[in-house]
Amino acid sequence: MTRVLVPLAVLEGESVSLGLMDLLGTVDVTVLGYHVLPEQTPPDQARLQYEERATEALEDVTQEFRAAGGAADYRLVFTGDRDQTVNRIADETDSRAFTVLGATGEVDRVLVVLTGDVAVDDILAFVTELVGDRAIGVTLFAATRGNDPEGLRERLGSAAERLGAEGIDATTDLATEGGPFEALVTAAAGHDAVVMGERAPSLRSLLFGEESERVASETVGPVLVVRRREQGGDGDEGDSESEGATPADGESEDETDGDDA
Amino acid sequence: MDGEVRCGENGAPPLRAPAGTVRRHMWLARDVSPVSSDAPLAGGTNVEGEAPVAEETVETDEATITDDAELERTLSLGGGLAIGIGTMIGAGIFVFPGLAAGEAGPAAAGSFAIGAVVALLVALPASELATAMPKSGGGYYFISRGLGALPGAVVGLSLWFGLVFATAFYLVGFGFYAVDTLAEVGVTVGSDLVVPIALVFGVGFTVLNVTGTENAAKLQNGVVALLLSILVVFLTYGGIDALGLVGEPSAPEEFAPFGTVPILTTAALVFTSYLGFAQVATVAGEMKQPGRNLPLAMVGSVLIVGVLYVATVFVATSAFGSGTLASLGETAMVEVGRHYLGTGGAVAIVFGGLLATMSSANASILSTSRAIYAVSRDALLPRYASRINLRYGTPHVALGLAGGPVLVLVATGEVEVLAEVASFLHLVMYGLLCVALVALRRDEPEWYDPDFRVPGYPFVPVLGALASFALVGFMQPLSQVIGVVIMLASAGWYYYYAGDVTLKGKL
Repeated sequence: MTRVLVPLAVLEGESVSLGLMDLLGTVDVTVLGYHVLPEQTPPDQARLQYEERATEALEDVTQEFRAAGGAADYRLVFTGDRDQTVNRIADETDSRAFTVLGATGEVDRVLVVLTGDVAVDDILAFVTELVGDRAIGVTLFAATRGNDPEGLRERLGSAAERLGAEGIDATTDLATEGGPFEALVTAAAGHDAVVMGERAPSLRSLLFGEESERVASETVGPVLVVRRREQGGDGDEGDSESEGATPADGESEDETDGDDA
Repeated sequence: MDGEVRCGENGAPPLRAPAGTVRRHMWLARDVSPVSSDAPLAGGTNVEGEAPVAEETVETDEATITDDAELERTLSLGGGLAIGIGTMIGAGIFVFPGLAAGEAGPAAAGSFAIGAVVALLVALPASELATAMPKSGGGYYFISRGLGALPGAVVGLSLWFGLVFATAFYLVGFGFYAVDTLAEVGVTVGSDLVVPIALVFGVGFTVLNVTGTENAAKLQNGVVALLLSILVVFLTYGGIDALGLVGEPSAPEEFAPFGTVPILTTAALVFTSYLGFAQVATVAGEMKQPGRNLPLAMVGSVLIVGVLYVATVFVATSAFGSGTLASLGETAMVEVGRHYLGTGGAVAIVFGGLLATMSSANASILSTSRAIYAVSRDALLPRYASRINLRYGTPHVALGLAGGPVLVLVATGEVEVLAEVASFLHLVMYGLLCVALVALRRDEPEWYDPDFRVPGYPFVPVLGALASFALVGFMQPLSQVIGVVIMLASAGWYYYYAGDVTLKGKL
């Protein structure tokens, strides 16, 4: 079953809109309640003070997700680094996508962004599963500034065909004018949520913040980010990556380590 | 899907870490083994009825996992080294060379070397304990769990005051550099302003730490990198000069004009330059891959600063005679910089000194707040001391308990006494920490499973303990009296406030 991670700044009063809960009714959900701490504060100290309140709120949200359809559980993390936590929990829960929260009512139509170097197959497979047999329309969108519009048109066309074969109402929208980001924000009008692929970190994301978060704040609506699959091992912490994808199994946590004395 | 699934039965539940990354710290785990007799469950209560907080935790490389929540580890090896080096470098290089040369002559380099050896002898056992108990609280935590609540309380409360004395010392050093900076830009104000400036910045750091939620840690890394590059340039040039390859040959001076005893008393004085590695242990709970990074950060930072200190003192005493150096006092290094590299050198050293003493003071205030949290969590201080304020998410009470006493001590302006008392209280902790290691190793509890084991056991911890206690003996009587009074007061507080609390073997 496909799992989606829903990071929630639980002690900041952040909440999940009903529309997003309904949209995620076809998939399993892990609610990641997190609380970001300044470096002056040891995480454990914050836990002592806030754990109970946070757990209560998370249980409520999780209950609502279950009521909306899919299986749901939650994790609570006190952290100094939000992105590190989201990545770790997404790995450990083997989540296919994570959300950037935003306000929305009932979802009738989602915008699926296929611009640039993204894993189109993964995104389409995820959208197919997300929409299921519901009457939610999909607009497949891509933006380019003139280089190879034909290739993109083809990409959108075959994507629409593939979704159509699954019984999904899919249209395409290729923007060739203006900046890709502005075009995306314009196209998002009239849609209730955006689905996009995770990009590799770049200078641009370092300077302006994650694209998905900028999209969410510009369009006000929620964004679903389909995660990149691990591309071989040039990661920083090496050994933890391969295991990260395997969900924890059974009661064996105490014997797995072959540590040397 | 099964809509009834409780949290914890789907995906990776809170108490289960991903396979392969678990480091086998299942503490007090009821379902793994019967609780052994040396791990009592109840810890007693203090006079306000608060009991120590104790829970099962699982430690992975990336997080600490408790019953209901996870605590992300976000500090890298670089961050750990920056804390260690950033805390230490300010004192050893920018404040002590003049004072030390005055007391021991060129042999002051030997004093710094002795300090480095003692620090290493303690850093190794501290590393083992930290990998066995990668928790915030550092030395206090190891001693209270290894030796019991009374030694724990004495060390925990003394560590608070030790860090307060150290912070005050760094701030006064900062004051001297601030006055020199003003002189360098043409405003001569004299040393009367040292204490007022130190006080203003002491208040400033405390307030900034309560209200500031910016990530100063990244800044700290940059500051340390910058300092290291300034020093490497300076030492390379000065070293070449001192060896007589360029410039005027300097007059050779008798290495130890005052004999060997001053070398040891000076070692006791300058030991304050090596306190930072234990601060790394106070953030052990936040370090990624603690089994690997904690020993590397602690031992590595001692080695790096030890080499820099010895080289600096060598270069400084080659520039001037030790008598001249001593007359230049706390900011003697500025003149050394001017001697080798002209005005540019002086400005670089003044700038470095400002940054270094600032980063030392700030890092110590943060460590103090963590030390207070650790004892308050164990009910040795009111739980109120570890409150976090809602507005900024910072531990304002603990930060206030750190910053307040600092100001009183800064007002005294007594650099050497402040430094020695700080060293005294830390050295007692270091000695006991080595004893705790031996005690734990002699009868290893079930939970004791460090990733790093000290080489040369039992010689290293035994030597570490002896050296720590011996160094205390070489301090000024006034510092020793203040240190002993603080320890007795801590013991008295324990018997009054939390005499029923037991902590030995309780994780």
